[in-house]
Amino acid sequence: MSTSTRGGSLAPGGVVGDGRYRLLAQFGIDERAGAHLWRARDGQLRRDVALTMLVGDPADAEAARLGRRTLERAAHAAKFNHAGVARVLDVLSLGNGISSSEGLLGIVVAEWTKGTDLIDLVAERPVEPGTAARMVQALAESVELAHQSGLVLGLDHPQRLRLTPDGRLRLAFPGPLPDATLRDDVKALGAVLYLLLTGRWALDGGPPAVPAAPRSPTGRVVPARSLEPRVPQELSALAVRTIEDGGHGGIRTSAAILRVLDEAAEEAERTQYIAKDPNVDTDGGVWTTKKPVKDAARRRKLALGVTVLVVAVVGILAWLGMMAISFFQDDSGSSGPPVNLADPTPTQQEPPPEQNQPPPAPPPGNGEPVAPSDITVYNPEGEGDSVANAARATDGDPTTIWRTDEYQQQFPTFKTGVGLVATFDSPLELAAVKITAVSPGTNVEIRVADEPEPALDATQVVGSGTIEGTETEIDLQEPTSSQYVIVWITSLSGEEPEFVSEFGELAFLPAG
Amino acid sequence: MYIPRERGVPPGVRWPAADPDMLRPYDEFATRMMPRILDGPRPTEIGERLPAVQLDEPAEAPAKAPSLARASGRMAIATLTSRITGFAWKVMLAWVATLGVLYDSFTVANTLPLIINELLLGGVLTSVVVPLLVRSQDDKDGGESYTQRLLTMAVTILGVGTVLSVAAAPWLTSLLMDDTGEANPQLATWFAYLLLPGLLFYGLFAVLSAILNAKQIFGPAQWAPVINNLVIFATIGAFALVPGDPTIIPTEMSDPKVLVLGVGVLTAMVAQAMFLLPALRRSGFRFKWRWGLDERLKEFGGLALWILGYVVVSQIGMVVNTRVLTAGAAGGPSIYSNAWLLFQLPYGVIGVSLLTALMPKMSRAAADNDFRRLIGDLSYGSRLTTLLLLPVSAVMAVAGTSIGIALFALGKGSVDDAQRLGQALAVSAFGLLPYALVMLQMRVFYAMKDSRTPTLIMVVMTAVKIPLLYLASAQLAPVNVVLGVMMVNSLVFVVGAVLGQVWLWVKLGNLRSKRVLGVILFTVVASGLGALAAVLAGMLVPDALGPVLGAWVKLILQGVVGMGVSFGVLIALKVDELTPVTRRITRMVRRA
Repeated sequence: MSTSTRGGSLAPGGVVGDGRYRLLAQFGIDERAGAHLWRARDGQLRRDVALTMLVGDPADAEAARLGRRTLERAAHAAKFNHAGVARVLDVLSLGNGISSSEGLLGIVVAEWTKGTDLIDLVAERPVEPGTAARMVQALAESVELAHQSGLVLGLDHPQRLRLTPDGRLRLAFPGPLPDATLRDDVKALGAVLYLLLTGRWALDGGPPAVPAAPRSPTGRVVPARSLEPRVPQELSALAVRTIEDGGHGGIRTSAAILRVLDEAAEEAERTQYIAKDPNVDTDGGVWTTKKPVKDAARRRKLALGVTVLVVAVVGILAWLGMMAISFFQDDSGSSGPPVNLADPTPTQQEPPPEQNQPPPAPPPGNGEPVAPSDITVYNPEGEGDSVANAARATDGDPTTIWRTDEYQQQFPTFKTGVGLVATFDSPLELAAVKITAVSPGTNVEIRVADEPEPALDATQVVGSGTIEGTETEIDLQEPTSSQYVIVWITSLSGEEPEFVSEFGELAFLPAG
Repeated sequence: MYIPRERGVPPGVRWPAADPDMLRPYDEFATRMMPRILDGPRPTEIGERLPAVQLDEPAEAPAKAPSLARASGRMAIATLTSRITGFAWKVMLAWVATLGVLYDSFTVANTLPLIINELLLGGVLTSVVVPLLVRSQDDKDGGESYTQRLLTMAVTILGVGTVLSVAAAPWLTSLLMDDTGEANPQLATWFAYLLLPGLLFYGLFAVLSAILNAKQIFGPAQWAPVINNLVIFATIGAFALVPGDPTIIPTEMSDPKVLVLGVGVLTAMVAQAMFLLPALRRSGFRFKWRWGLDERLKEFGGLALWILGYVVVSQIGMVVNTRVLTAGAAGGPSIYSNAWLLFQLPYGVIGVSLLTALMPKMSRAAADNDFRRLIGDLSYGSRLTTLLLLPVSAVMAVAGTSIGIALFALGKGSVDDAQRLGQALAVSAFGLLPYALVMLQMRVFYAMKDSRTPTLIMVVMTAVKIPLLYLASAQLAPVNVVLGVMMVNSLVFVVGAVLGQVWLWVKLGNLRSKRVLGVILFTVVASGLGALAAVLAGMLVPDALGPVLGAWVKLILQGVVGMGVSFGVLIALKVDELTPVTRRITRMVRRA
């Protein structure tokens, strides 16, 4: 802002107008007239005023003449009363409220307009077309009224305008240029509309803070629609046709503008009514530091509720889905581990020993099953075979299984066998072992030992059998007392190239 | 209806097309947002306001447009080739190794380097370091010192990470695998020992391709994965030839099959990274050890933390997922990973191209605070995704089993396993649309510079997922666990999609969801009819054809009938959103 230095002593806190007005903040400079736009405090009436201060050298006769002309026009406007123009309260000129030492040619004092700076408004993003049309409408009405009485308002500078809290544009810093015409006011209306729609100023002499409107190679202003596609055709055309001098279809009167604006605003509001959300402007910014308004808080609460609801619904759906999966999968018969599909006829089965007794009827006299204190995999010739799962064979749940590894060849090619060793707290008078398993064709020996990890040779075979069906009871030749019982698999279920056996549950039945 | 029309080059297009790995939505944020800041006007004078709307692209952009279009066309071919070959080798491995314990162990071990890389580098690299890399190209030295610092840091972190993770390999596999099932952690550990050194090269590949991209060299990074896949093809060939069966216990790490597969895949990772070196050399970059952090990295601390949180949470979900799968029947992890690949495929083709077209506009709108346009694009994207993906998921649900058998019951692969894979695909097919929507919504959050909400949504999704996974494991027979897991994953995306929509609504207000719901309703009706027609068509195929041939015939017939009926109904219902698509397709056909 290089021009701000030309204002001599103009700085916040300084006083002008013979000490009556204390400067508060600068709102811009209209460089064409050297007019500095300030908010100031009237020291006598204790109210805020808008000052349009014409800065210039009083010794320069031409500048003084132009300044006087502006002041005269502003004084005329003092009679004018409309919501779209700030009321002129006073006009100070050299010797009449201003001393020559102040470096000023004159001051137009107007009532202060509360609201927003127009440039602040468009700095973030262009205004909704419908809203823009409404904003300009108020201004256009006052131009229309002023022109009927031959007054030039001089609103052809964006920093002279402010947006009132009720959404209307207002000429806050009156003081038209000495040579301003009625036509300039009309053009300014188009330029303001253009500014609201695109964020660019289409006339000469705009403030440096606002980018100039792009022009086509022929020098014409590019239509607002091509910068902001959402601008309706009518508004875009209105803005450009108003700004442009000459040519056909130019709009020269504010009455014509008003007519189009009215239509455009209504049209825009009709089409945007659904999508328009007042909250978007206030709390839509994600990185805004503003506190969210109440509505957003309510929405957040609602969102939390929806979250909980959705989680619950999905939980139920998942459960139902799983029921459906188990139902259909069991139904289709392809359930169970693939190994179960293997041919139940074992390939190289040893002749079952004499005592083998197929599933039913546990011989009377056997007691209640005794649970071992510990069960581990007995694997004297190797390692592996689901060591971690051994306990599943005695956990009381036949659906949890202990399973051998998958072997490509039947025992004893790779090793002679594998088994589980059950340890009891005290020696058990064992009569039978009941095996719940889906491993048809598995040959099992019951061995007893004197220590938990014996060599295979040190164990004694006390019974044997082949697993058929789901429950197989292997009776011992005679009840044997031992603290360590081994259920030893000598041949596996399955066929080439996959041999595997599993135990769902082992029950150790004592004699008596 | 709202049809986005934007001629010329979208602002972010000089960055390559979206990463195929769709579980990383934060990529898009990195690639689309930063260039705008770069191109944006710089305040020339302190105190002067930034103009609200800048002039459109600088004048040089239109001149560059044709070559960019051609480059992105070539890039699309490379991406497609790498994805197809990447999928092909997984199918081929299933043919020779079957969907069993060996493949499971390999799958688990093979994900280890990817997970660790994502945790160490991935998230931060894609979201913060790469955008800064692009910016650093404007430095006085053309970004050389920044790049050297970045490379030094990456090599150090990756090197240390590789050494540590190889040392911790048994622990890592036991973390990922539940040894109560049929899985074989020992075998997985051996694979891990062989594959984890690849972490260094995998990470290096990511960094190097980012550097090349920042230098506007796109080709090598796009083609390197193809090289990787070719090496794996050769490896699988060798794997099929060598004798031995590592699933017999006890066995040695020196089992020829384990060695061939492990070393081959490791070589592939090395080749992928090395393929970039000549290109980097040609670009004039010389590596020098240069220590220290760039000042600019500090700006992004918070952002990087949230994204790291996202990565960590999603990896926790993945670990539990793998544990539940390994606790089930053999083949779970490999069936899951292949089913998931198939599940993603339609999204990879349709969704990604849609995102590539929409994201630059959405990022721009978000940066301009133009929420109306953002919402418009989001709604349009959701509706288009719905229209294109719902019919596909209907066909997938009907023909899933055929897809599985057609692709995986070849070679040594068993029809049973292939069927299970197909069923897994079928029960999860409904999740395709929610999945695509989640990915779209997360990108919108990132475009709005909100990296927190996606992480929180991910936390909720994972919190829902983990108990459901364990429920599946407890409720279902071991063989069916993989079906349950796929279904849970799809359901979790339903949660994610609803959450995303609701929280976007909190941030943005009216999202025009009604319109999206309307389109979903129409499409559900059309897809339902399509599915019905597909089922009927499937009945026509005689069983006498044999499983695989029958599956192919069924798949093709059901696919054509299902899609045809779905889209026929949609066109008959005169759904607005289809008009531009049909128009674009006809235009493309005419151009071709």
